[in-house]
Amino acid sequence: MASRELEVVHSPQVETPPSRGPLSAFLDRLIGPFHRGEAPEHKPAMGFYTDTTVCIGCKACEVACKQWNQLPADGFAWTGNSYDNTGELSATSWRHVKFVEQFADNQPPEPTGNGRVSLHVLPDQPHDVRWLMMSDVCKHCVAAPCQQACPTGAIIHNEFANVYIQPDICNGCGYCVAACPFGVITRSTLSGHAHKCTLCYDRQKDGLVPACAKACPTASIQFGPIDELRERARRRVEELHRRGVPGARMYGSAPTETYTELHSFYLLVDRPEVYGLPEAPFNPWLHMLGDYFRTAIAGAVTLAVPLAAFLLWGA
Amino acid sequence: MQTKTNLPSPTGYAGIVTKPPEWHTLVVFDILFNNLTTGLFLGAAVGELAAPSTFTPVATWAYPVALALLLADFACLVLDLGDSLRFHHMLRVFKPSSPMSLGTWSLTVYSLLLTAIVAVEFVAAAGWVPGNSAAAWWIRTLAVVVGLPFAFGSAAYKGVLFSTTAQPGWKDARWLGAYLVNTAVTLGAAELLVIAALTGEPLAVDTLRLAVGLLIVLNLVALALLVGDLYPLLSRLYARREFGVAGLFVLLTGVVIPASSLLAGGVPVTASVAVASLILASLGVRFAIVRLPHDAT
Repeated sequence: MASRELEVVHSPQVETPPSRGPLSAFLDRLIGPFHRGEAPEHKPAMGFYTDTTVCIGCKACEVACKQWNQLPADGFAWTGNSYDNTGELSATSWRHVKFVEQFADNQPPEPTGNGRVSLHVLPDQPHDVRWLMMSDVCKHCVAAPCQQACPTGAIIHNEFANVYIQPDICNGCGYCVAACPFGVITRSTLSGHAHKCTLCYDRQKDGLVPACAKACPTASIQFGPIDELRERARRRVEELHRRGVPGARMYGSAPTETYTELHSFYLLVDRPEVYGLPEAPFNPWLHMLGDYFRTAIAGAVTLAVPLAAFLLWGA
Repeated sequence: MQTKTNLPSPTGYAGIVTKPPEWHTLVVFDILFNNLTTGLFLGAAVGELAAPSTFTPVATWAYPVALALLLADFACLVLDLGDSLRFHHMLRVFKPSSPMSLGTWSLTVYSLLLTAIVAVEFVAAAGWVPGNSAAAWWIRTLAVVVGLPFAFGSAAYKGVLFSTTAQPGWKDARWLGAYLVNTAVTLGAAELLVIAALTGEPLAVDTLRLAVGLLIVLNLVALALLVGDLYPLLSRLYARREFGVAGLFVLLTGVVIPASSLLAGGVPVTASVAVASLILASLGVRFAIVRLPHDAT
């Protein structure tokens, strides 16, 4: 709270809602979701640019995200995968720092009988080993399958062109979970609703930087107008190529044939699969019309069979 | 460089990054009840409109059964939500880009029309209005005609809903919608056959036996197209023996037993065996389909 007081000079007054009877509460619950507020004016598209080459795996972004968004802890689980004990993005972890250990001789050290790797087998030379780290988050896709799927209108693109789940509308149908090609959205076992990164919508509305980007000590997570971020990322890739990192590449900064650009994009130094990202994400909606067409044709042919039987023999 | 292999994929993080939704048994029964109610309505409506003298007595019983099955479907749909008390939020928006939204609206309109049909029948049966009242008859016929596209939409959306996802298996199932709508009509015709046998309508029984027989063959074609879509994943997930056992089960329950029952005669027992066997086959296929992304990840 101390940092919040420092940042927000004019904190809005919290109004206590008037007490209501059970009937009024029931009607609010029934009718409330159908009320529409006025759509806010569009602002320049904002997003994240994550430069994985400078990530040090400190997890300050994870902590800041949990702290600001008041997300519960996930318990203490030992995954055995490097320093990654978060495991995956979930309804309670909207940031996830991934750790990828790589070895030059194509032979990662063999675990001993107890499943552990002895320290003395670790390489002596720094160039023998590479430790990739990446802070993963919702990709805030321009054409987001989760938003296209959502039947309640809970998932929207807000005025900053970020994908936002309205928590008071979501009914936990789970279609967004099935639609997301990045495995980001998760249904909470506590509330039953879908949750993911909001790109700190509340902070953005107050002109603040998202908590993770503010906490990142190496500027691996950068926040800003998406066009500026793309230009910054392009220059960084060129610089890395000049400095002898030929594998440096952008992920999600430009649209592909099967997917739109992402408002949270990455600078990687290896193939996307190594970081747990799909190499060529595919928007499932590209198939939808064809699937409807096939279904309609098959349905018509199927219905023609009993119709013919009824007309020929049933009359 | 080689990535350390503490994780499921040798390339680093999981090869399949998608998360399967928490859709399990309730969804299997939701699909089944959806197919049973919409198929029965479609069969009854088409029969009644094509050959009223033969099928109207059968359809009169079919609509209340379809309504009961629809209520069972609604129960599955609502209970499967993460927050069931928010089920009405589905009606906040009409969003054709979302098969689930389109399906919800189709089901809503279909349910209203089906309820109207059953209400008219009930009012007539209770003697509150004359059974042959022209006004009641026209309302009922209008609801049947208008209900046809909505029942069809309700049957058709489900497969597209699954195939329009990023989940392994489902995303490749281009013929899933076709298979499900085909099964709906097949199941509906079989249900209608049972009702016709129970109500003692011999001409309807004979016609429906022929129709169901042809539909079973067509259903096999639709299933083959679906399996063709899914084969790369199925062959990776399951051993040849498991695949063979599943195929044998579907062939027995989906073709051999119902076809034999149809050939055995048109009495209620044989018709019931046929429909029960078809339901069993449908359940098996739906379980397999719903499980696919869970098994793949």
